[in-house]
Amino acid sequence: MRGLVFLFTALSIFSTALLSAQSTNSAVISGQVTSASGNDLEGVNVILESEFKGTTTDVNGSFQLNDISEGTHKLIVSYLGYQTQVKEISINNAEKLEINFVLEESSAELEEVELTGKSEIRKINEQAYAVTSISTKSLLNSTADAQQVLDRVPGVRILQEGGLGSNYTFSLNGFKGNQVKFFLNGIPMDSFGSSFNLGNIPVNSIERVDVYNGVVPVWLGTDALGGAVNIITNQKNDYLDVSYSFGSFNTHKASLNGAYTNNKSGFTVRGNLNYNYSDNNYDVLAEIRDANGNLLEDNVEVERFHDQYQSATAQVETGFVETSFADQLLLGLIVSGDDDEVQTGATMRTVYGAVEVESESVIPTLKYKKQNLFFEGFDASLNASYNITQTRNIDTLTGVRYNWYGETFETNSENNGEQGLANLLEQDDNEFNSQLNLSYLFNEKHSLSFNHAFQHFKRDEFDEVNLSVNEYYLPKSLAKNVFGLSYKYKISKDWTASVFGKAYALNVKTSEQETNNVESTIPVSVDYSDFGYGMATSYFLLKNLQLKASYEKAFRLPTAGEFFGDGLVVLANPNLKPEQSDNFNFGINFNKDLNRNNHIEVGSTFIYRNAKNLIYNIVSVSSPTSRSGNLAETKALGVQGTFAYRWKDIFNLSANITYQDITDEADLIYNDFSGYTENLNKGARVPNTPYLFGGATAGFNFKNVGGDDTNLFFNYYYRFTQEYFLTSDRFGSIDTKAIIPQQSSHSAEIGYSIKKGKYNVSVEARNFTDEASYDKFRLQKPGRAFYLKLRYNL
Amino acid sequence: MNKSIFNFSKALALSALSLLFVFSTVSCSDSDDEGVSCQGGDYGMSLAIQSTDGSYTYYTLAYNNLMSGTLTAQGQGIEQPGYYDFKAIDNTIYSLGGLDDVNVVAISQDNGCLSQAGDVSFPNSLSDLVKADNNTLVSVAMSSDSDIITFRKFNPNTVSVTETVDIQVSEFTDLVGLSYSGMVISDDHLFLSYYISDPETFATTHTDQAEVAVFSYPELEFQEVITDDRVGPIGGFNTKSGLVKDQAGNIYAISHSNPANGYSQSTKPAGILKINAGETSFDEDYFFDINDVANGTMVYAKLLSDGRFFAEINTEARANQAMWSDSPLESAIVNFEAQTVNYVQNIPAHAGDGRRLVGFEEDSNYYITIPEEDGIFVYQIDTQNYTATQGAEVQASFIAGFYKF
Repeated sequence: MRGLVFLFTALSIFSTALLSAQSTNSAVISGQVTSASGNDLEGVNVILESEFKGTTTDVNGSFQLNDISEGTHKLIVSYLGYQTQVKEISINNAEKLEINFVLEESSAELEEVELTGKSEIRKINEQAYAVTSISTKSLLNSTADAQQVLDRVPGVRILQEGGLGSNYTFSLNGFKGNQVKFFLNGIPMDSFGSSFNLGNIPVNSIERVDVYNGVVPVWLGTDALGGAVNIITNQKNDYLDVSYSFGSFNTHKASLNGAYTNNKSGFTVRGNLNYNYSDNNYDVLAEIRDANGNLLEDNVEVERFHDQYQSATAQVETGFVETSFADQLLLGLIVSGDDDEVQTGATMRTVYGAVEVESESVIPTLKYKKQNLFFEGFDASLNASYNITQTRNIDTLTGVRYNWYGETFETNSENNGEQGLANLLEQDDNEFNSQLNLSYLFNEKHSLSFNHAFQHFKRDEFDEVNLSVNEYYLPKSLAKNVFGLSYKYKISKDWTASVFGKAYALNVKTSEQETNNVESTIPVSVDYSDFGYGMATSYFLLKNLQLKASYEKAFRLPTAGEFFGDGLVVLANPNLKPEQSDNFNFGINFNKDLNRNNHIEVGSTFIYRNAKNLIYNIVSVSSPTSRSGNLAETKALGVQGTFAYRWKDIFNLSANITYQDITDEADLIYNDFSGYTENLNKGARVPNTPYLFGGATAGFNFKNVGGDDTNLFFNYYYRFTQEYFLTSDRFGSIDTKAIIPQQSSHSAEIGYSIKKGKYNVSVEARNFTDEASYDKFRLQKPGRAFYLKLRYNL
Repeated sequence: MNKSIFNFSKALALSALSLLFVFSTVSCSDSDDEGVSCQGGDYGMSLAIQSTDGSYTYYTLAYNNLMSGTLTAQGQGIEQPGYYDFKAIDNTIYSLGGLDDVNVVAISQDNGCLSQAGDVSFPNSLSDLVKADNNTLVSVAMSSDSDIITFRKFNPNTVSVTETVDIQVSEFTDLVGLSYSGMVISDDHLFLSYYISDPETFATTHTDQAEVAVFSYPELEFQEVITDDRVGPIGGFNTKSGLVKDQAGNIYAISHSNPANGYSQSTKPAGILKINAGETSFDEDYFFDINDVANGTMVYAKLLSDGRFFAEINTEARANQAMWSDSPLESAIVNFEAQTVNYVQNIPAHAGDGRRLVGFEEDSNYYITIPEEDGIFVYQIDTQNYTATQGAEVQASFIAGFYKF
């Protein structure tokens, strides 16, 4: 709770500072680039010829050039497949010039503008990677959060255990857990703590989310087996966005986002504050049992009674942007915390009435970025963070257990909590992260980038209730270095290719018990290294038909826990190898303006994954011990399709579907009593993983309804997941198999904005058909819910 | 633009579009079109199949032929994901376990079909379930880190709990780490054998005597702990075979202190003690020096209809046993009264499952399953001639239950 108090103090100071600091000056050219059909164009080159200054447009088609000297300039706007425009402008000192461009599609022969300065073509577009980038631009008035945004991405499925704040499993093409790495503005979120739950990050704090399928560019510097997700928070220099939403289950979400930048000095303050609260007291169908454990009533509709959740996060950065010494030099601090009441165990048959989990994180950050450092064409950036996260599991109520009516029964035990032996386990995680990126642009065709990522992780565990637990006295630390080198060659104006290599080095330190005797604890250290490599290429067969292919030999290094166990029943395996996977993607994207008003986009990505040495915990049958082993092998063959249609700015329709056939390919399995034996599941579909799912979105947007500068919108969202088995589909009779049923959910929202989006109000009905939906094993999720959102944007 | 390239790209664009249609057909073809199956047979088996993530799923099936072919759970069998232990009592198989909570489900044959009954749920795992009389089963739940042990009485017809009795461990010992090893109900007493193992390290530091707690039955009130220092503790980790009862009501208590079954130390010889029918103390005149007779230590025993026992004997000296290995075992027919051991021929030395012994008797044959290099096989043992015949291969990671209906 101390964290929360701190956050609110910070919130009030920060908001006061922001509100009083909304002013700008100095010579700036900004504007927006759209196509003739009115679509925002992203990645358009905007060059101020005389000054070697340039930029590319963001997802909204917007651009901004700062520090323009007084005088006449030539502004060149070019984009592949569109006719280049050149405009003469003259600008006075401190003038703020806004120029918008409408680009016409070019006819058969593509023209290419000869780019002179190096900075203009420096933006290495990740187009060749299988990346799905989702802009939150059209979602800012919705009550959505990062989790809902990501769940609409092809290949992604998020399995959630309950309502706001509950645990979830993120899966990307079947890869789960730490096989997929998360980043916040390029900083690894591996040990950020539970308050960075994706459901806690509202759309208003996010500019866009990039999802890399299988092949991860070197600049993220990580060992990701199945891909990476990078959440980019708002990067604008001057804005203010305040929103508040409330709705069903007493859910409240407040978000304050803003930035102030003095264009003369480059001094900037920016950040966001988010608060989430919910009782999560939605109705579920549950079993009611008596003190003896007998079933009294089945399928009784009861309200969840111990599932309150609250979280708060403040992120503040200050420093300088667009100065001579740095394009960006920001010192930041993230403070975050959450309190989570736990209602159920792994299934709804286990009901808790007192278990809680709390976490608090403090994360100082440093960002530095400079183009043309020392000499032209040499760019450098450095991201560093140190996170201190404390997590407490509180299961200290002994002697009773609950049923779904909230009634308690005596257990007559003084040392058993609800989850087993009563505990107050505290975990202190400390992690230092740094990401150094250097790149050099030889000329317009060749560029080279280097990345070095360093991570040092340390965990201390302590249980106030059980002081004698030896494992809590054993140190656990892990140091990881990842080096990446990438070379990009622009073969022709339509064809680019990148090749890259990554080197991984790992050092893990801990202690291990040699025998059953605590005194035999000895320090152990393991070093490991490996090399990965890959390529990505993109070819425009036609100006609107792009082919993409990418491959990576990907690795995920074992964690300290996997290497060394817990010093007790999870035994060490110092011979553990990293997980590895061959990941292939092949994509086709086609987009066309059918005419001035109709725009269509169709895309398809084929994926192939061949993952080996997958680590899992080998449980033994004849002993209480287990250890990690490299035994699993899987193969995934999948295809994702996307479709989008837009009519003017008024109507849009999009849909995506993912089919992935992930099969178990291990020849052998290991168990303690018979050693290595034949894997009876070889060739069978990997269970408990959705294999067919998709979604659709339709929206209407009407301008100037009931007044000038107003906007009325309506959106509809549909999600579908085919039923799947909890266990192997090969064994057991179908009528007794555990099935996660087919699910579909429908949501709709309606909103209205006035004064060019300054004041906004929207209402959302989520899962309005009230379909029972489940994830994990029959953990029921909220039914129909309504939310109202108010937003002020400057 | 080159025309052939254009045609190619057009074809690609079309194929991308057609994909969307392909998806819709895929989504329909995967529906469950198999009907409800009815499976019956003379024999039953509960197979455990390990999945890629290391977890196990259990399938209980009925078969008619055990001696040839392959026994499989492909497309058949009652599925139970989680952790389970199976116990056959009369013609019913009781599964004890679950995904998260613990349930007791009765699996029996009804009109030639396997069917499930029962819906009870407990927060902690059950260590064992034994028959008290025709209308009562008694379960015990005990965990080395708990301060209580819990008895429950079941009505076997409704598979419901009629009574729950919690006993404070402190009533009969000050030691922490009470671990289950065997339970028998004889006349008006319940006998519970246990050993002490550290809840954190599983180290066994109290191995100087056998201890059996005696409770009144049906009241389930604690009466006394009987001890005997001729041997170490009774039973071992998860074998649930520490106490066995013969037809006359005599109870035999088996001590081995085997590292292969979880003992980190041993301070007493192996051996078998006896509690005579109707009594609540060890018979001081009875001692079966199994190591002397069989050159091994007895780990599992199961009563045969003629009063002898089918037993699994670890033939390795304690010092040479691999910790937790439950190996190497040899099968034998043992007479506890005459103190004779006859090893069964034609069965290779094998590892146990580290769990309750599975197998059953039919006529003068005893059936078990043996894990071998090239698979798990059924063996039919002639209990008169002490020979064995290899039967069907079983497609499973291990066998959790093997029964005759």
